[in-house]
Amino acid sequence: MADDKVMILMTSGPDTPRRCATPFFFASLAAAMDYDVTMFFTIDGTLLLKKGLAETVYPKAGGKPVSAFLEEAMESGVKFLACTASTELHDLQPSDLIDGVKMVGGASMWQLAEDCKTVLTF
Amino acid sequence: MASVRGCNLPDDLYYLIEKHVWAKPMGGGVVRVGITAVAAKLSGGKLAAITVKAKNIGQEVKQGKSLATVESSKFVGPVPAPVTGVLLRANDKLANDPNIAVSDPYGEGWVAEMQPSDWEGEKGSLATGPAGIAAYQAKLEADNVSCA
Repeated sequence: MADDKVMILMTSGPDTPRRCATPFFFASLAAAMDYDVTMFFTIDGTLLLKKGLAETVYPKAGGKPVSAFLEEAMESGVKFLACTASTELHDLQPSDLIDGVKMVGGASMWQLAEDCKTVLTF
Repeated sequence: MASVRGCNLPDDLYYLIEKHVWAKPMGGGVVRVGITAVAAKLSGGKLAAITVKAKNIGQEVKQGKSLATVESSKFVGPVPAPVTGVLLRANDKLANDPNIAVSDPYGEGWVAEMQPSDWEGEKGSLATGPAGIAAYQAKLEADNVSCA
Protein backbone atom coordinates (compact mmCIF):
# COMPACT_ATOMS: atom_id res chain seq x y z
CA MET A 1 0.00 0.00 0.00
CA ALA A 2 1.82 3.04 -1.24
CA ASP A 3 0.70 6.27 0.33
CA ASP A 4 2.41 8.60 -2.13
CA LYS A 5 3.45 8.61 -5.75
CA VAL A 6 6.88 9.85 -6.75
CA MET A 7 8.66 9.98 -10.08
CA ILE A 8 12.29 10.03 -11.14
CA LEU A 9 12.88 11.48 -14.59
CA MET A 10 16.05 9.89 -15.92
CA THR A 11 17.81 11.72 -18.74
CA SER A 12 21.41 10.67 -18.01
CA GLY A 13 22.90 7.79 -19.97
CA PRO A 14 26.09 5.90 -20.77
CA ASP A 15 28.01 9.09 -21.61
CA THR A 16 27.86 10.09 -17.93
CA PRO A 17 28.30 6.86 -15.95
CA ARG A 18 28.66 8.60 -12.61
CA ARG A 19 25.16 9.98 -12.96
CA CYS A 20 23.67 6.54 -13.55
CA ALA A 21 23.71 4.79 -10.16
CA THR A 22 22.15 7.22 -7.69
CA PRO A 23 18.84 7.65 -9.54
CA PHE A 24 18.24 3.88 -9.33
CA PHE A 25 19.40 3.80 -5.72
CA PHE A 26 17.01 6.63 -4.82
CA ALA A 27 14.22 4.77 -6.59
CA SER A 28 14.92 1.58 -4.60
CA LEU A 29 15.04 3.61 -1.42
CA ALA A 30 11.70 5.25 -2.16
CA ALA A 31 10.19 1.80 -2.79
CA ALA A 32 11.54 0.67 0.58
CA MET A 33 9.75 3.65 2.12
CA ASP A 34 6.50 2.38 0.56
CA TYR A 35 6.25 5.11 -2.05
CA ASP A 36 4.70 4.19 -5.39
CA VAL A 37 7.75 4.84 -7.59
CA THR A 38 8.02 5.32 -11.33
CA MET A 39 11.20 5.96 -13.28
CA PHE A 40 10.53 7.72 -16.56
CA PHE A 41 13.37 7.36 -19.07
CA THR A 42 13.93 9.88 -21.80
CA ILE A 43 16.75 11.49 -23.82
CA ASP A 44 19.89 9.40 -23.07
CA GLY A 45 18.36 7.64 -20.08
CA THR A 46 16.48 5.34 -22.43
CA LEU A 47 19.77 3.89 -23.68
CA LEU A 48 20.31 2.29 -20.25
CA LEU A 49 17.26 0.13 -20.97
CA LYS A 50 18.79 -1.34 -24.12
CA LYS A 51 19.39 -5.05 -23.61
CA GLY A 52 22.94 -5.69 -22.43
CA LEU A 53 24.01 -2.05 -22.27
CA ALA A 54 23.66 -1.31 -18.54
CA GLU A 55 25.99 -4.26 -17.85
CA THR A 56 28.80 -2.34 -19.56
CA VAL A 57 28.40 1.01 -17.76
CA TYR A 58 30.32 1.42 -14.49
CA PRO A 59 29.56 4.45 -12.29
CA LYS A 60 32.74 3.67 -10.34
CA ALA A 61 35.76 1.79 -11.65
CA GLY A 62 35.84 -1.62 -10.00
CA GLY A 63 32.33 -1.18 -8.61
CA LYS A 64 28.98 -2.57 -9.65
CA PRO A 65 27.63 -1.97 -13.16
CA VAL A 66 24.50 0.11 -13.68
CA SER A 67 22.59 -3.10 -14.38
CA ALA A 68 22.96 -4.10 -10.72
CA PHE A 69 21.37 -0.84 -9.55
CA LEU A 70 18.69 -1.12 -12.24
CA GLU A 71 17.76 -4.69 -11.30
CA GLU A 72 17.59 -3.80 -7.62
CA ALA A 73 15.14 -1.01 -8.40
CA MET A 74 13.02 -3.26 -10.61
CA GLU A 75 12.96 -6.03 -8.00
CA SER A 76 11.86 -3.57 -5.32
CA GLY A 77 8.78 -2.71 -7.37
CA VAL A 78 9.83 0.45 -9.21
CA LYS A 79 7.89 0.88 -12.47
CA PHE A 80 9.87 1.65 -15.62
CA LEU A 81 8.43 3.80 -18.38
CA ALA A 82 10.30 4.76 -21.54
CA CYS A 83 9.46 7.72 -23.74
CA THR A 84 8.59 6.57 -27.24
CA ALA A 85 10.21 9.59 -28.88
CA SER A 86 13.52 8.91 -27.17
CA THR A 87 13.62 5.39 -28.60
CA GLU A 88 13.29 6.95 -32.04
CA LEU A 89 16.10 9.35 -31.20
CA HIS A 90 18.38 6.37 -30.61
CA ASP A 91 16.90 4.15 -33.35
CA LEU A 92 15.74 1.63 -30.77
CA GLN A 93 12.87 -0.78 -31.35
CA PRO A 94 10.66 -1.79 -28.40
CA SER A 95 12.14 -5.28 -28.74
CA ASP A 96 15.62 -3.83 -28.11
CA LEU A 97 14.64 -2.88 -24.56
CA ILE A 98 14.85 -5.07 -21.47
CA ASP A 99 11.74 -6.80 -20.18
CA GLY A 100 9.53 -4.92 -17.76
CA VAL A 101 9.66 -1.55 -19.51
CA LYS A 102 6.45 0.06 -20.73
CA MET A 103 6.61 2.43 -23.68
CA VAL A 104 4.55 5.58 -23.35
CA GLY A 105 4.22 8.96 -25.03
CA GLY A 106 5.29 12.26 -23.58
CA ALA A 107 1.76 13.14 -22.49
CA SER A 108 1.89 10.25 -20.03
CA MET A 109 4.89 11.91 -18.40
CA TRP A 110 2.89 15.10 -17.85
CA GLN A 111 -0.07 13.26 -16.38
CA LEU A 112 2.15 11.22 -14.12
CA ALA A 113 4.06 14.31 -12.99
CA GLU A 114 0.80 15.95 -12.04
CA ASP A 115 -0.23 12.89 -9.99
CA CYS A 116 3.10 12.69 -8.18
CA LYS A 117 3.94 14.33 -4.92
CA THR A 118 7.58 14.66 -5.87
CA VAL A 119 9.47 14.57 -9.17
CA LEU A 120 13.25 14.30 -9.25
CA THR A 121 15.23 14.83 -12.43
CA PHE A 122 18.64 13.36 -13.17
CA MET B 1 20.35 -16.94 23.77
CA ALA B 2 20.53 -19.18 20.76
CA SER B 3 23.06 -19.23 17.97
CA VAL B 4 21.82 -20.58 14.66
CA ARG B 5 24.23 -20.87 11.74
CA GLY B 6 26.38 -18.25 13.46
CA CYS B 7 23.43 -15.87 13.91
CA ASN B 8 22.60 -14.78 17.44
CA LEU B 9 18.82 -15.26 17.86
CA PRO B 10 17.58 -14.83 21.46
CA ASP B 11 14.59 -17.09 22.08
CA ASP B 12 12.71 -14.55 24.22
CA LEU B 13 12.03 -12.26 21.23
CA TYR B 14 9.15 -12.44 18.76
CA TYR B 15 10.28 -12.74 15.15
CA LEU B 16 8.63 -11.99 11.84
CA ILE B 17 10.94 -14.48 10.17
CA GLU B 18 10.24 -13.64 6.53
CA LYS B 19 11.20 -10.01 7.13
CA HIS B 20 14.09 -10.57 9.57
CA VAL B 21 12.70 -8.27 12.24
CA TRP B 22 11.98 -8.78 15.94
CA ALA B 23 9.61 -7.40 18.56
CA LYS B 24 10.01 -7.35 22.33
CA PRO B 25 7.27 -6.34 24.81
CA MET B 26 8.64 -3.61 27.08
CA GLY B 27 5.63 -3.28 29.41
CA GLY B 28 3.07 -0.51 29.41
CA GLY B 29 1.70 -1.58 26.04
CA VAL B 30 4.94 -0.77 24.24
CA VAL B 31 6.98 -3.09 22.04
CA ARG B 32 10.50 -2.40 20.91
CA VAL B 33 11.35 -3.51 17.37
CA GLY B 34 14.55 -3.99 15.42
CA ILE B 35 16.39 -5.96 12.79
CA THR B 36 17.82 -9.42 13.43
CA ALA B 37 21.46 -10.46 13.19
CA VAL B 38 20.44 -12.13 9.93
CA ALA B 39 19.21 -8.83 8.47
CA ALA B 40 22.44 -7.17 9.59
CA LYS B 41 24.39 -9.86 7.76
CA LEU B 42 22.25 -9.69 4.61
CA SER B 43 22.59 -5.91 4.40
CA GLY B 44 26.33 -6.23 3.91
CA GLY B 45 27.55 -5.61 7.43
CA LYS B 46 28.43 -1.93 7.31
CA LEU B 47 25.47 0.43 7.26
CA ALA B 48 25.29 3.97 5.93
CA ALA B 49 21.97 4.81 7.56
CA ILE B 50 18.85 3.52 9.27
CA THR B 51 16.09 6.06 8.88
CA VAL B 52 12.68 5.87 10.50
CA LYS B 53 10.08 7.53 8.31
CA ALA B 54 9.29 10.62 10.39
CA LYS B 55 5.88 11.00 8.83
CA ASN B 56 4.89 7.65 10.33
CA ILE B 57 5.49 8.66 13.96
CA GLY B 58 2.09 8.83 15.63
CA GLN B 59 0.56 6.84 12.78
CA GLU B 60 -0.43 3.19 12.57
CA VAL B 61 1.89 1.01 10.50
CA LYS B 62 0.54 -2.38 9.40
CA GLN B 63 2.45 -5.60 10.05
CA GLY B 64 4.95 -6.16 7.24
CA LYS B 65 4.85 -2.55 6.03
CA SER B 66 7.93 -0.36 6.03
CA LEU B 67 8.61 1.64 9.18
CA ALA B 68 12.22 2.47 8.38
CA THR B 69 14.87 1.97 5.72
CA VAL B 70 18.32 0.43 5.87
CA GLU B 71 21.07 1.68 3.55
CA SER B 72 24.49 0.24 2.98
CA SER B 73 26.85 0.38 0.05
CA LYS B 74 25.53 -3.02 -1.02
CA PHE B 75 21.90 -2.81 -0.18
CA VAL B 76 18.87 -0.64 0.35
CA GLY B 77 15.69 -2.01 1.82
CA PRO B 78 12.83 -1.63 4.24
CA VAL B 79 12.59 -2.44 7.95
CA PRO B 80 9.08 -3.91 8.01
CA ALA B 81 6.94 -3.62 11.13
CA PRO B 82 6.76 -6.99 12.97
CA VAL B 83 3.28 -6.11 14.26
CA THR B 84 0.57 -3.60 13.45
CA GLY B 85 0.74 -0.60 15.70
CA VAL B 86 1.28 3.09 16.20
CA LEU B 87 4.88 4.12 15.72
CA LEU B 88 5.88 5.92 18.93
CA ARG B 89 9.51 6.88 18.47
CA ALA B 90 12.73 6.08 16.69
CA ASN B 91 16.00 5.16 18.37
CA ASP B 92 17.86 8.45 18.15
CA LYS B 93 21.22 6.75 18.64
CA LEU B 94 21.00 5.27 15.14
CA ALA B 95 21.39 8.72 13.61
CA ASN B 96 24.89 8.99 15.04
CA ASP B 97 25.90 5.41 14.43
CA PRO B 98 23.64 3.12 12.39
CA ASN B 99 26.11 0.29 12.89
CA ILE B 100 24.96 -0.32 16.46
CA ALA B 101 22.09 -2.15 14.70
CA VAL B 102 24.75 -4.56 13.44
CA SER B 103 26.97 -4.79 16.51
CA ASP B 104 24.12 -4.92 19.05
CA PRO B 105 20.86 -5.55 17.13
CA TYR B 106 18.82 -6.59 20.18
CA GLY B 107 20.22 -4.02 22.61
CA GLU B 108 21.48 -0.53 21.81
CA GLY B 109 20.69 -1.00 18.14
CA TRP B 110 16.90 -1.28 18.37
CA VAL B 111 15.11 0.66 15.64
CA ALA B 112 11.80 1.93 17.00
CA GLU B 113 9.10 1.55 19.63
CA MET B 114 5.48 0.85 18.77
CA GLN B 115 2.15 0.60 20.53
CA PRO B 116 0.67 -2.58 19.08
CA SER B 117 -2.94 -2.36 18.00
CA ASP B 118 -3.62 -6.00 18.89
CA TRP B 119 -0.58 -7.64 20.45
CA GLU B 120 -2.50 -10.57 21.92
CA GLY B 121 -4.16 -11.27 18.60
CA GLU B 122 -1.09 -10.78 16.44
CA LYS B 123 1.72 -12.29 18.52
CA GLY B 124 0.60 -15.74 17.41
CA SER B 125 1.75 -14.84 13.90
CA LEU B 126 5.30 -14.32 15.19
CA ALA B 127 7.91 -16.95 15.96
CA THR B 128 9.22 -17.18 19.53
CA GLY B 129 10.73 -19.60 22.05
CA PRO B 130 12.61 -22.77 21.06
CA ALA B 131 10.00 -23.65 18.42
CA GLY B 132 10.33 -20.18 16.91
CA ILE B 133 14.11 -20.46 16.75
CA ALA B 134 13.76 -23.86 15.08
CA ALA B 135 11.47 -22.30 12.48
CA TYR B 136 13.99 -19.50 11.91
CA GLN B 137 16.75 -22.10 11.55
CA ALA B 138 14.70 -23.92 8.89
CA LYS B 139 14.31 -20.64 6.97
CA LEU B 140 18.08 -19.96 7.13
CA GLU B 141 18.83 -23.49 5.95
CA ALA B 142 16.32 -23.22 3.11
CA ASP B 143 17.86 -19.91 2.01
CA ASN B 144 21.44 -21.09 2.71
CA VAL B 145 22.14 -18.04 4.86
CA SER B 146 24.63 -17.98 7.71
CA CYS B 147 26.16 -15.19 9.77
CA ALA B 148 29.61 -16.76 10.02
